[in-house]
Amino acid sequence: MIDAFLPWLLEELANAGSSLFDLSKRVSLVYLISALLFASSLFFYRYGKAGLSRVKVYFSWRIWTHASARTDYALWLLNRLLLAFMIPKALAQSVWISWLFFFWQEQGLSSLAIGFPDILVVAFFTLCYFLTDDFSRFFVHWCMHKNAFLWAFHQVHHSATVLTPFTVFRTHPIEGLLFFLRSLFVQSLVISVFLVLFPNQISLMQVFGILITTFFFNVLGANLRHSGVALSYGERIEKWLISPAQHQIHHSNAKCHYDRNFGVALAIWDRLFGSWHQGKDNQEITFGTNQPIDKTGFLGQWLIPFKDISQLLTKALKKGASCVDPDLFASKKKARKGE
Amino acid sequence: MKKTILSLSVAFSMSAVAAQDYAFDVTLKSYKGNASSSVSYGGQIARHALHNSLKKAAGKGDVDLMTDYFSSKKSGLTILDPISKDGFPIKQTKIDELSKGKDLLSSAYDGVITGWPGNPTGQELLTQLIDLAGKTKKGYDPVNGYDYIQLISKFTMGAVFYNRGVNHYLDEKLEAGAYPNDKPYKKGTVYTGKEHVWDEAFGYFGAPANGLSLTPKEVVQITKQNASVFKKADANGDGVIDLKSEMAFAHAYYAASIDASAGTKYFHTIMQAFVDGRQLIADAKGKALTTAQHTELKAYAKTIATAWQQVIAEAAYKYAGSVYADLEKIAVIEEAHGEVAKAYRNYVKHWGELKGFALSLEAAGRDLGGAQAGLDRLIGFSPILFGDTQILAADGKGGFIQGSAISMQEYKLNMIKAQNLLAKTFKLEGKLNDRTAGMNAVLDQINKASNSAEND
Repeated sequence: MIDAFLPWLLEELANAGSSLFDLSKRVSLVYLISALLFASSLFFYRYGKAGLSRVKVYFSWRIWTHASARTDYALWLLNRLLLAFMIPKALAQSVWISWLFFFWQEQGLSSLAIGFPDILVVAFFTLCYFLTDDFSRFFVHWCMHKNAFLWAFHQVHHSATVLTPFTVFRTHPIEGLLFFLRSLFVQSLVISVFLVLFPNQISLMQVFGILITTFFFNVLGANLRHSGVALSYGERIEKWLISPAQHQIHHSNAKCHYDRNFGVALAIWDRLFGSWHQGKDNQEITFGTNQPIDKTGFLGQWLIPFKDISQLLTKALKKGASCVDPDLFASKKKARKGE
Repeated sequence: MKKTILSLSVAFSMSAVAAQDYAFDVTLKSYKGNASSSVSYGGQIARHALHNSLKKAAGKGDVDLMTDYFSSKKSGLTILDPISKDGFPIKQTKIDELSKGKDLLSSAYDGVITGWPGNPTGQELLTQLIDLAGKTKKGYDPVNGYDYIQLISKFTMGAVFYNRGVNHYLDEKLEAGAYPNDKPYKKGTVYTGKEHVWDEAFGYFGAPANGLSLTPKEVVQITKQNASVFKKADANGDGVIDLKSEMAFAHAYYAASIDASAGTKYFHTIMQAFVDGRQLIADAKGKALTTAQHTELKAYAKTIATAWQQVIAEAAYKYAGSVYADLEKIAVIEEAHGEVAKAYRNYVKHWGELKGFALSLEAAGRDLGGAQAGLDRLIGFSPILFGDTQILAADGKGGFIQGSAISMQEYKLNMIKAQNLLAKTFKLEGKLNDRTAGMNAVLDQINKASNSAEND
């Protein structure tokens, strides 16, 4: 048993480690370094030499070895092992896309056959893919905060009291599964429609084999979002693109920052949903949920959400409601807000 | 001036690496005779001629004639195909001129074929198909949706040629201990053990010996006996095509045909690996192969086996696309209340080709993993017939049982899925008649993305 298990375990761990050298992963060393260069250049431009001290926190030994950061690492590796069993990704996608591709044609959708040049189709497809993907991430994230059951899982991500680039992996496995379903749904939808409209023409614009938007998002400091480096893009740009400072506000434990800046790359969704908040280079923020989960290790992070869900359900059942009282959804959040 | 020098040097280097033919001298040290060539695969070419003739016989629905070419080992059999045509004369007219006492049945795959009702062995399935073809008019059974000409021909190529080539000669017979290179293949032969094992595999592939000097288009035209390529085909210039070394058969033809249409390089990849592997054996000069030489030879064998499998999968992919197109045509004709007989005939023909190639993939003892079950289910035991029925099983008396299935139009989705499965499993590049609109390439792009649970 162990004979079979051990090689698999080692391989999975080695794969996780190889993320550091894989350009398709946000925590690749290239992006970790490019984020630093990007922030340093901007601070130098804004504040001169003195501005460079603002990136010091990126190297802070205390933060990288903090209990909260250690929980990030544990969740990263352990979730990987768990999700390897839970998600047969490639298979599900091909079956879904084939079915949708066929379904649209049966519904009468057909090739536009207007002879657009390939490059135009590829650019249009890449843009639509990016917009749909970015909006769906925003919307799922928004739901995670607005629904008490979903929040029970999402609180894991917000329980980080220090942020490091590896906080990106601080996720409950159930939430990981929801993210997988989101990407399955969105990718299948966009790809199947485009395959019908522009047969044999679609392909994603890539740089070094990475989707172009993901590449630039990562090169230009995606890793700063989960770090102590407060970098604002300035109000004009932040109305369109979410800056690291804006995402840090999203992680703030201050009341006035709750439910702000859900967006990933684009800020327009937050403006449409009224959740946009400007970031500042000088903002001072503490992170966390103000709940006991902030202090727990990976096991607590895995289990507390289920405990919270069972409490929510028990309350709902006690009330004898045939459907769950919407107030109950909010109860956890009220507790979090200290109301 | 620079250009001239450049073009001269290119021309020089081109001539320096002139394509090599599949022709090799004797290296066996114990050989004392006068023969100069150690290459011999007449038995394989005889089987190619038997297969081509069997296909002709199947088109007549004549069970005795089919049996002659399939399993009789009779002497005096006339080659029914290829035969001389205007501007394309063939040297041999009798099977015996190629090799005596050969048949197809005894060389066919004897493992289980899961994609046919009753789980027959490859040998049982071929025997059954010939028997059933004998009960039809010209090999066509519209009631069950079977074109036996196609089923027999395509599956014979897999169960005999691909199986023997990949599963025997390039596999167990190539192992270090078997058929050593410092001994004759059999007592008295001019060739060594390894030389002949390699030649037999090459013979089963079916390429002309000068294949490396031919373009894929030319290879295709040779099989079609087009007089315009006669000069190129007649490598030794004796005015006739020697089936033993100047004709393209079976999967060599399909490899070239896919390359000619899709720009892939299957034919030359396989041909080059055969020539390089044989050169390696020749270079050993009649001594046993060293471990390093043997490892290199196995690598060539792997290249051949992989590309050969891809050729068969590419052919299945193409015909899955044809079946899809046929179903679209049938729907249009039905809507207009037209006559569907001709479109249905094409549908059954293309399905037979698809099924024959798909079953071939199973016929060489190679593990296809989940793809085998996937292909079996998606393609089914028969095409979807009018009334949305399909063959679901075999009864105890050799007949077929039809039952209700999905609609003909839904069956199109199966063809899309089958194409995706084939492209993904066998890493196909040609993908002719693609009905997925290029889905597989996009899926490859997005599947490279992260498999970690990342938050935003």
